[in-house]
Amino acid sequence: METVIGIDCSTNECTSFSKSAPIWQDVLAQAVTGELLAAMNYASLAEICNDPEEIADALEHAAGERGHAFRFAAEGRKIGVDVASNVDARHWKRLREIFLGCIAERDFIGCLIVQEIMLESFAVASYARVGRVAPGSLGETFAAIAGEEEGHVEHALAILRADRALDPRRFDDKVYRLHLEVMTTLAKMLAKECKDGHCEVCHASCVKPSLFDVSLSAAELRGASLQQYLKTLDSLGLPGEVTLQWVAQLPV
Amino acid sequence: MGSSVASLAPRARTSENESEADFALIGHQESWRAAADVLAVLRGRQHTPLPDDEIQDILPWIPPRSVCHVEVASRLGVNARGVYIDSFIPPNRLDATCVHENLGRVRAAAACAINAGAKIVSLGGFSSILIEGNFDQLPERHDTVFTTGNTLTVAFIVQGIKKMCALEGRDLRHSTLLIVGATGDVGSGCARCLAPLVKRVLLSARNAERLRRLAAELRADGIEAEIVTDLNPIGRLKHDAEPRRPEADIVVCAASLPSPSLLLGCIATDAIICDAGYPKNLSPNAQMPEAKIFLGGLGQIAGGLKFSPDFRGILNRHPFPDVVHGCLLEGMALALEGRFEPFSQGRGFITPRRVEEIEAIAARHGIHLAPLH
Repeated sequence: METVIGIDCSTNECTSFSKSAPIWQDVLAQAVTGELLAAMNYASLAEICNDPEEIADALEHAAGERGHAFRFAAEGRKIGVDVASNVDARHWKRLREIFLGCIAERDFIGCLIVQEIMLESFAVASYARVGRVAPGSLGETFAAIAGEEEGHVEHALAILRADRALDPRRFDDKVYRLHLEVMTTLAKMLAKECKDGHCEVCHASCVKPSLFDVSLSAAELRGASLQQYLKTLDSLGLPGEVTLQWVAQLPV
Repeated sequence: MGSSVASLAPRARTSENESEADFALIGHQESWRAAADVLAVLRGRQHTPLPDDEIQDILPWIPPRSVCHVEVASRLGVNARGVYIDSFIPPNRLDATCVHENLGRVRAAAACAINAGAKIVSLGGFSSILIEGNFDQLPERHDTVFTTGNTLTVAFIVQGIKKMCALEGRDLRHSTLLIVGATGDVGSGCARCLAPLVKRVLLSARNAERLRRLAAELRADGIEAEIVTDLNPIGRLKHDAEPRRPEADIVVCAASLPSPSLLLGCIATDAIICDAGYPKNLSPNAQMPEAKIFLGGLGQIAGGLKFSPDFRGILNRHPFPDVVHGCLLEGMALALEGRFEPFSQGRGFITPRRVEEIEAIAARHGIHLAPLH
């Protein structure tokens, strides 16, 4: 596991977080890992773009996601915890492999579907929930980054809507194929219990049972993420009854 | 408007309108069991059913959306296609404390119906209760009209009472009728239709002022109407010094209750009881072994009903085929008739004349009172 930033309990926030700090440490570790993975994905995306403007956009997004990772890490430093990341952790690694599959096929639209529709739905919704309950600047940072992520999803949605308009059936089939891979992995990550063993990101035992201590729950994060995902698919024009079946069939 | 021959002619479908819905039905599940069954169908047989705790965790997060396509056939050879939209109001959040949240869900469901191109939308169960008298709170609509569907519900309740009385050899003219939830749209409609047929009518509801107004309206027509303030075993009429028993021998339960919790004491032991609530009104603990209890407000479609995916017996949980709540059937009947109008708009407008009108429309298309059970 890679340490993004070391312990530096030099601020007043340390004392108020003494009990919940280990919980926030793991929440931040998941967030940092997700942001670094997103940065890697956007960097890979830049390699298959032909349009200089698209390349610039992808690189800008990559830089933005790295910036998010550092902001989260900085929040960890404020509360005196060592925020680690592990993009090779089992689930995150699988998500990266799926994205790289799209890259190998030079499937720009597939890449956007994975990153902007699926992974960002998860990020936007879960950051927003954390932002509501996390105290002080930690909560403010989660809420602010949730807003920023939502902002760049809008740009991708416009591209995806235009692509779907060309051939809705082909587009929806592609979303479903990727859904089976990506959302099944995310559903396992979001399950109330990690049934496949340790996620390889939490610093000790699984953080999920402890989330209640900070007014969160794994069920809430999963529910909010799936809701955001369904709403995003709605906004692309996919039939609601179809996407509901997709989500209903995910593992729990 | 009206039943012109032209409006009954089967409408040709073209590629342009192929995906548009004639009607939409907005509903919600009345129990966790029902919600679990819906999710089990969506999940498919190849997946294990979700445990109850997972259902209770997941369902509240599902945004309102269409769940299945519905096709209804008229005996005149016309058919109409629509969508069932579930607002996914969690069964444990049907109470008054969640009105704002639930109204938001109904609005979102209404937006789905508009997006689906539905020409007419029926508001089922709590959806209509939330919207009654607040149609202006629905999203901006262009070619979509909304109906609470309550007029056809009233029609089937009234027909059910008459049928059960006939089966049991009771004479309505000698009966005392109690209506629980009398000031609601369905309750007041039942009062207007049934009160002239019985000897005496007892009205019960939470809103005293509305009760007084309804009682006065009925009395003005020469009906013996009284207000009941207490449904406990030793019931008292407002103007009585002493309790009187037995009271009602015919009961219509049409209250907006978040769960089956009603206990009736001030009724004859062998009363005929029509439970027309959604969720049902009567408590499972109600001990009335001699009472003739049936579920009211249900109709059956002779021409058949198809769901895609197949939700038969799941969205319409009845032992008989093609049985649906009257409120939802009203939208289907009006779609089959080609009358895309807000037939039922909310509290207090249901009259015997309107009930007869929707009964005639429904009957023309083979929609009749469901078998009583």
